[in-house]
Amino acid sequence: MNTETPQLVVSRVFDAPRQLVYRAFTDPDHLAAWWGPIGNSLPRDEIEFDVRPGGFQRWTEVNASDPVVRVRIHVDLTDVADGELLDGVMHVGGRLPEGLEPFETRLRIEFHDEADGRTRLEIRQWLPDHLAHPSAEGWRQAFTKLDATLTNVQAVAADHRKAEAWRS
Amino acid sequence: MAGTDQLSAVFSALSDPTRRAIIAELADRDATVTELTAPLSISMPAVSRHLKVLERAALISRSRSGKWRASHLESAPLREAADWIERYRRLWDASLTRLDAHLAAVQAADRATDRTADDPRDPE
Repeated sequence: MNTETPQLVVSRVFDAPRQLVYRAFTDPDHLAAWWGPIGNSLPRDEIEFDVRPGGFQRWTEVNASDPVVRVRIHVDLTDVADGELLDGVMHVGGRLPEGLEPFETRLRIEFHDEADGRTRLEIRQWLPDHLAHPSAEGWRQAFTKLDATLTNVQAVAADHRKAEAWRS
Repeated sequence: MAGTDQLSAVFSALSDPTRRAIIAELADRDATVTELTAPLSISMPAVSRHLKVLERAALISRSRSGKWRASHLESAPLREAADWIERYRRLWDASLTRLDAHLAAVQAADRATDRTADDPRDPE
């Protein structure tokens, strides 16, 4: 599983007790009520949850305006603490919108108590491997090496100028 | 970014300050040789030579349509990743706004149920 720094971090406070916010993620009826962009819906009979370490959360997303698209979401849960934590790998597949390839992304959701009975949600998500590696890493390496190269170039140029000044 | 040769081509292409200036220009928009030459203090043939180096390193592509060949920055690897993050950030924003409304509605329903304990509409 991906253990490096997540590329996406979202934090939000809700005016609701922690157990209720946790239930909104782990109870099929709750999730269907709010998940997904506007226009998406989750057929109730295609939601399967087995929330425990080693368990899963599976559902389908459909959109009335684009009936061809049926996005299948499979979350393999690796780490679960009741009312506190959901951590796992989300597989996105099925009949995806045009231009989107199936991918998987590590997703970690933490539920924290806040003052006055509120709850802070911390969501962390990692780039799919095909986007994070090797291309982005390749670029990062490229620029690190480039900086080293440029430092050398500048040093050489400075020496050159010094030599010229000495000659004149 | 495949292979060491490709990487070397990228390093050497980017090690030149003029080519870096060209990349910076193309980050904003596609441009022709004429447009790229204007802000630089070198000749158009010199800019053309720099563009060839950038093209060999696959950092830019050049359209073949029409009279003017526009150069286009190929930042696909970085851009794809940025697009993906942006798409998920928007998805979470929209979803969590709905979650906020959902939690308020559920709690309001719970409070109403507390007042009329025999209300059968309570989902919990």
